[in-house]
Amino acid sequence: MTNKSNNGFNTWQKSFEKETKKNFSDAKSETDEGIDIKPVYTRDDLENFSFVENNSLPGQWPYTRGPKASMYTNRPWTIRQYAGFSTAEESNEFYKKNLESGQKGLSVAFDLPTHRGYDSDDDLVMGDVGKAGVAIDTVEDMKILFNNIPLDQMSVSMTMNGAVLPVLASFIVAGEEQGVDKSLLSGTIQNDILKEFMVRNTYIYPPEPSMKIVADIIEFTSKEMPKFNSISISGYHMQEAGADNVLELAYTLADGMEYVRAAMSKGLDVDDFAPRLSFFFAIGTDFFMEIAKLRAARTLWAKIMKNFGAKNERSLILRTHCQTSGVSLTEKDPYNNIIRTSYEALSAILGGTQSLHTNSFDEAIALPTDESARIARNTQLILQNETGVTKTVDPLAGSYFVENLTEELSKKAWDIITEIEELGGMTKAVKAGIPKLKIEESATKKQAKVDSGSRVVVGVNKYKNPKEPSVDVRVIDNNRVRDDQIKKIQAIKKSRDTKAVEKALANLTNAAKDETNLLVPCIEAIKLRATVGEVSKALEQVYGRHFAKSLSVSGVYGKHFEGDKEFMKVESKIKEFENINGRRPRVLVVKMGQDGHDRGAKIVATSFADMGFDVDMGPLFQSPKDVAKDAIENDVHAIGVSTLAAGHKTLVPELMKGLKEIDPKSKIIVFVGGIIPEQDYEFLYENNVSAIFGPGSNIIESAEKVIDLISDNLSKE
Amino acid sequence: MELVDKIIKGERAAIAKAITLVESSKDTDQQISRQLISELIKKPGKSIRVGFSGPPGVGKSTFIESFGSYLVSQNYKLGILAIDPSSQITGGSILGDKTRMVEISKNPNTFIRSTPSRGTLGGISMGTREASIILDAAGYDFIFIETVGVGQSEIVASNLVDIFTLIVGPGSGDELQGIKKGITEYADIFIVNKNDGELKMEASKTAADYKSALSYYKKLDELEKQVLLVSAIEQTGMEDVIKTINQIIDQNKLKGIFDERRADQLEYWIEEEVKNIIASDITNRLTSKGNIPKYSEKVMKNEMSMYEAVETITKDTLEQ
Ligand code: B12
Ligand SMILES: Nc1nc2c(ncn2[C@@H]2O[C@H](COP(=O)(O)OP(=O)(O)OP(=O)(O)O)[C@@H](O)[C@H]2O)c(=O)[nH]1
Ligand SMILES: [Mg+2]
Repeated sequence: MTNKSNNGFNTWQKSFEKETKKNFSDAKSETDEGIDIKPVYTRDDLENFSFVENNSLPGQWPYTRGPKASMYTNRPWTIRQYAGFSTAEESNEFYKKNLESGQKGLSVAFDLPTHRGYDSDDDLVMGDVGKAGVAIDTVEDMKILFNNIPLDQMSVSMTMNGAVLPVLASFIVAGEEQGVDKSLLSGTIQNDILKEFMVRNTYIYPPEPSMKIVADIIEFTSKEMPKFNSISISGYHMQEAGADNVLELAYTLADGMEYVRAAMSKGLDVDDFAPRLSFFFAIGTDFFMEIAKLRAARTLWAKIMKNFGAKNERSLILRTHCQTSGVSLTEKDPYNNIIRTSYEALSAILGGTQSLHTNSFDEAIALPTDESARIARNTQLILQNETGVTKTVDPLAGSYFVENLTEELSKKAWDIITEIEELGGMTKAVKAGIPKLKIEESATKKQAKVDSGSRVVVGVNKYKNPKEPSVDVRVIDNNRVRDDQIKKIQAIKKSRDTKAVEKALANLTNAAKDETNLLVPCIEAIKLRATVGEVSKALEQVYGRHFAKSLSVSGVYGKHFEGDKEFMKVESKIKEFENINGRRPRVLVVKMGQDGHDRGAKIVATSFADMGFDVDMGPLFQSPKDVAKDAIENDVHAIGVSTLAAGHKTLVPELMKGLKEIDPKSKIIVFVGGIIPEQDYEFLYENNVSAIFGPGSNIIESAEKVIDLISDNLSKE
Repeated sequence: MELVDKIIKGERAAIAKAITLVESSKDTDQQISRQLISELIKKPGKSIRVGFSGPPGVGKSTFIESFGSYLVSQNYKLGILAIDPSSQITGGSILGDKTRMVEISKNPNTFIRSTPSRGTLGGISMGTREASIILDAAGYDFIFIETVGVGQSEIVASNLVDIFTLIVGPGSGDELQGIKKGITEYADIFIVNKNDGELKMEASKTAADYKSALSYYKKLDELEKQVLLVSAIEQTGMEDVIKTINQIIDQNKLKGIFDERRADQLEYWIEEEVKNIIASDITNRLTSKGNIPKYSEKVMKNEMSMYEAVETITKDTLEQ
């Protein structure tokens, strides 16, 4: 007998309708994913599943309940905090302190020049060295990074994709020179290039050669490094860029399928490498959805791998790292972030993650301080040691709601995966720019919900703190770091065998012309002290550097505000402006330096256009000089600099200089948005910045301020 | 005019401001703009104006980046006017051309200006012709005009340039029906882009289709129209394009076609300006007299016929 035909349910429904004065059938709430959440779930909701199997067990097909039978009851998840800044010396000190305080695995954050294959002495990266991660130029830096950290005992995760060849090579050589053979190295290299083209933006080469490099790494590690995960197929960055959970899940698994095919095209048997594929998801604030996502991911992956003909059980099992969501954290009232992160961490644990990073409360301000990093780490230590969550495997199994949600998510994701497969797979979709656009659309919708107040963010659009606390920030002197790095590079270039290095690099360039596995000649070059930048350039000679073509959504933001007073006020100000000035206000939105955070810039651009601005969208990675030329040629009224990777104190003054160089009388005004610690406001104002818009800024309010400032500026003429 | 000297000196900011003036919808700007253009026309440069049109996404911007880089590397100075179709009717627009012209936009020998088309006829914006006069006076060797090819736009765009190029993609042979006669008269060169990778076969086939279709429509006294295969992404076929452009220009100059075209375009321009002035004058009169609502009400009430109303209004409006 089912529940619905049962008297008990009818009685419940009546009571519900009486209490809420609503029809039960209308009482649903829609999630970002387009899933209707009902106010109550019953045993009926466990029926007619096509993905979830009701009686499955942990460590068994379809692995919904976890990759292992015992899960945390045997060994808790690995506390793996992502960190890195400044020089290898300083990051090494930081790692060692963290390990002493209970952290279990390392996870290296490289700086943007390293990610993009530039040495610290390259002119293109002046503002970026050591700012958003640790600078690694040669194997010597890598050795310093792991000084007194035995690489045969410590598992190391490295977020590296674009410059994956020289960086993995440096890691292997660093190990070797520590006396550790590569076969003993354990850890993970991210090596997931598809999501770079979609959202993370630290690609170097075009998609095809990039995919070839991914396959080379999978091939090499599967043969030579049995304890090393060859790839970390990442949805995390997609959610952080704005994807809802279905998009994150579907695109990640579809990426995974593409990598499986790439590896198989090298002649590998699926079971040779599949057990070493690993995953990475974000855990946002939608508590049960995130739990269901991890369970759905394992369920779907098992099915996918079975379809690929995997025979080894370990090939079917999805193992994942998770990180709590940075984008859910706010600059305003920042201690709230500790609370948000705790709930997200609990979600990740109930979903059965294998390792976890918890964010620091100063996430929306700067890189973590020692103190904020300690609290972030303790969030996990408290979960492991004080709450009892490790005592039972998959405690939410059998929950009508969670099981149903797992099934719903699986279904929706599967539909998207099928669609992508029919279109020819993820590489094709990525090249056409479709997934990126879908994610941007989803991000724009989320922004509209927050700006309109239909989604509450405590301390930002409701329950604001009248007395904002001021917090300490980690300050990195990038000029000092850059000088230090340049000195080290120069010393190495003097002492190495230049002829041999040149020959090794030439070999590498040649190898790129055919099907040779590139990691082998890379290791040779790195051993001889070739730099990360030199190795990248040797390959660039054959592959070229990739420039992304950017598409934009339009109308998504505006649609949310039909009939909205504030929105219409800005629209009419713009019309008035056009009547007076003979054209619309025109703003150039730019990203300078190696900062690839484009979510904010894209959202601001599309929203401003919806309100009636003419918006020029600059490409990624522009130099301040190029921005100045663009701005002047298009005679824009204002430049909006979006900066999140802490390059602003170098790049903004350079931009001002660039404008004056072309036109000493330039009247173009400059706004700055993004991650700007309060301590830097004065510096920017002194450099003639007209206004600063930090995280959480309401876009309609920002737009109004922008148009007012432009009008003021024009009336001064 | 001070602005004129600055433009002729090639000052970037002055050129940019001048383009803003010619694009402005403000009356006072329009007056200055007319003076400015009158002065600049007296000091013509030597630019060749090339139009690039084609369906959305065919690779026009990428082609211009690629071909432009080639020209700049040969020390030519290049001005680019990109008419961006992305504008919405009510909202503003996102001008994304620069994300596709990353390399040439850095070069000091280029000047790149995007303009929202605002849905005007043919995707050509108000002021495009004037903007090319400014760039000509400023000393640019080539002026490229990028427009989206939809409907009538090719015809309008071809009226602004010395040489008009249609860019098409592989597999667009199906659209041949659509291009038929009209466009073959306006376009001087056909470029089949994306001749690379998997698309190579298809691109060659498309080029062949175009060639045979074009020879079919060719008039007796006409030159053979050129069909070129390029890959904007792999930067192949670029020498052919410049060679062909130079050939056509040389031939046209020799035969007097070059000047003839410019004379025709001047005629067209004058006609257009006169029509514009008359049209806006008439519109003003119509609104100020309020005849349209007045008489249409009469028609509604059956007090007079539609055509009587039209006649009466016309007479009344044209009366001084
Ligand atoms: C999302 C995110 C990512 C995504 C980016 C996805 C994408 N395509 O954009 C991913 C996961 C890929 C990512 C990666 C990295 N990230 Co990140 N990331 C963030 C995060 C969590 C949120 C940023 C965001 O998108 N917010 C949402 C948007 C809408 O907000 P916004 O950009 O701030 O824009 C608003 C306002 O600032 C303003 N605004 C912004 N620009 C403009 C312009 C104008 C004209 C106007 C009017 C207004 C305006 O209006 C917007 C609306 O309110 C921040 C931390 C945080 N909470 O802010 C870290 C953060 C920016 N990341 C950081 C780092 C270090 C990185 C990495 C470099 C890590 C590494 N070493 O590998 C990588 C590399 C990325 C790269 N290529 O540059 C650091 C930077 C440290 C610093 N500044 O000192 C931060 C601050 C986190 C931290 N505390 O460590 N990241
Ligand atoms: N394979 C291939 N793709 C190309 C080539 N040229 C352009 N593309 C791709 O085609 C898409 C559109 O290119 P754009 O240059 O923006 O096209 P467009 O005609 O200027 O587009 P609109 O200005 O939007 O009308 C991009 O994804 C390019 O990467 C080429 O030579 N070969
Ligand atoms: Mg274009």
